[in-house]
Amino acid sequence: MLAEAANVLAAADSVSGSLGAVAYGLAAIGPGIGVGIIFGQGVQAIARQPELTNVIRQNMLLGFALTEALALIGFVVPFVHK
Amino acid sequence: MVRPAMSEEEPEPGPGADETSSHEAFTNAAWSIPSYILSGMAVYGGLGWLLDHWLGTSALFPIGILVGLALAIFLVYHRYGR
Amino acid sequence: MSAPHLLASGGGEEFEAPGLHIFDWGPLFPDGPSWLDWLTKPVLIVALSALVTVLFAWRAFRSPKLVPKGIQNIGEVGYLFVRDQIARPMIGKDGDKWMGFLFATFFFVLFMNLSGVIPVLQLPAPSHIAFAIVLAITVYVIMLFLSVKHQGLVGYFKNMMFPPGLPKPLYLILAPIELLSNIILRPFTHAVRLFANMFAGHLLLAFFSTVAWWFLVEKLTVLGAGVGVVGFLMTIVMTAFEIFVQSLQAFIFTLLAASYIGGALHPDH
Repeated sequence: MLAEAANVLAAADSVSGSLGAVAYGLAAIGPGIGVGIIFGQGVQAIARQPELTNVIRQNMLLGFALTEALALIGFVVPFVHK
Repeated sequence: MVRPAMSEEEPEPGPGADETSSHEAFTNAAWSIPSYILSGMAVYGGLGWLLDHWLGTSALFPIGILVGLALAIFLVYHRYGR
Repeated sequence: MSAPHLLASGGGEEFEAPGLHIFDWGPLFPDGPSWLDWLTKPVLIVALSALVTVLFAWRAFRSPKLVPKGIQNIGEVGYLFVRDQIARPMIGKDGDKWMGFLFATFFFVLFMNLSGVIPVLQLPAPSHIAFAIVLAITVYVIMLFLSVKHQGLVGYFKNMMFPPGLPKPLYLILAPIELLSNIILRPFTHAVRLFANMFAGHLLLAFFSTVAWWFLVEKLTVLGAGVGVVGFLMTIVMTAFEIFVQSLQAFIFTLLAASYIGGALHPDH
């Protein structure tokens, strides 16, 4: 029984791979949530006040650009920091 | 057994010309923002990497990436954010 | 290289997650003549998708009836979807002229993607980046041609690299960004979006089905069975999710193609 448990756990222990990929995976969590919030709330705002659609869209784009920049910083950090 | 009459399908009014161009511009912008940011980082990060290579320093590459990021976000702001 | 590849784990004692090797498909007939070596599984899937697209459009619109029935219904729903959601919003009043291209692109990409969940095929062809790149390059060449035709060579570069309303010295700094973004990175991201989604989806499905197979069939233990059941359920959930993602990516690919064509035709906004 214990040996079996060790076997199952060993499967989790033996994960290996590139640290850069793991780092990008972690770095993508925050911007992923952020982009979701931006477009979700943006659509909600447009639904509430359709006459302000253009203003809301512009602000959505700016927020999206800033958030996306974070995700792409996470993408290049493994190249910069060897 | 008689099937209930199918509901007549309303001819859908096409979107107005103004609406169309605004929607198109928004979609264009939203999908091209990541390539703007990547491009800014590539151009100025690449410049920084080259300067690092020639001058034997190591700080210009990350600085170049951040400068490119800022310029790309400014470009997005100028193109779509106003 | 055939059925056992799904099991992925060979005969080892430890669980081994499926890696990049599940995308490596040798010639379909390894013992066949050498001139048949180009015929691999992805190539077969692409050929089948093209054939299905042609057959679908042919059956649906060969002799259209006023009251559609059978496959013509599906064809018309698909046509209306592509026209009202993609062509008209993105290209405007010229959109209907491009319906032939957009309809074919949408269904071709859709069938290639959906082959990722069809039993026996089970490989989305765009998970090999070459196929995505060829599609993106086709759109890119059309876009370049239309841009130069409608704006002129100088006008195209002027519209692209010099957005009005900036002080002159800033153009020197910003123009390289615009150039790289429009000429190289746009078609690149266009292809990579499709490729990466299909690649990751296939890897995910292979991973969960490998987990289920390994813990429920190959090494059935009391503790491992729970993991296996979770893997089995996740395989089902992920298959449904993949069908959604594959349809969405076909839609987005066509949407971007239409958006590039529309941008080439009407540069002013």
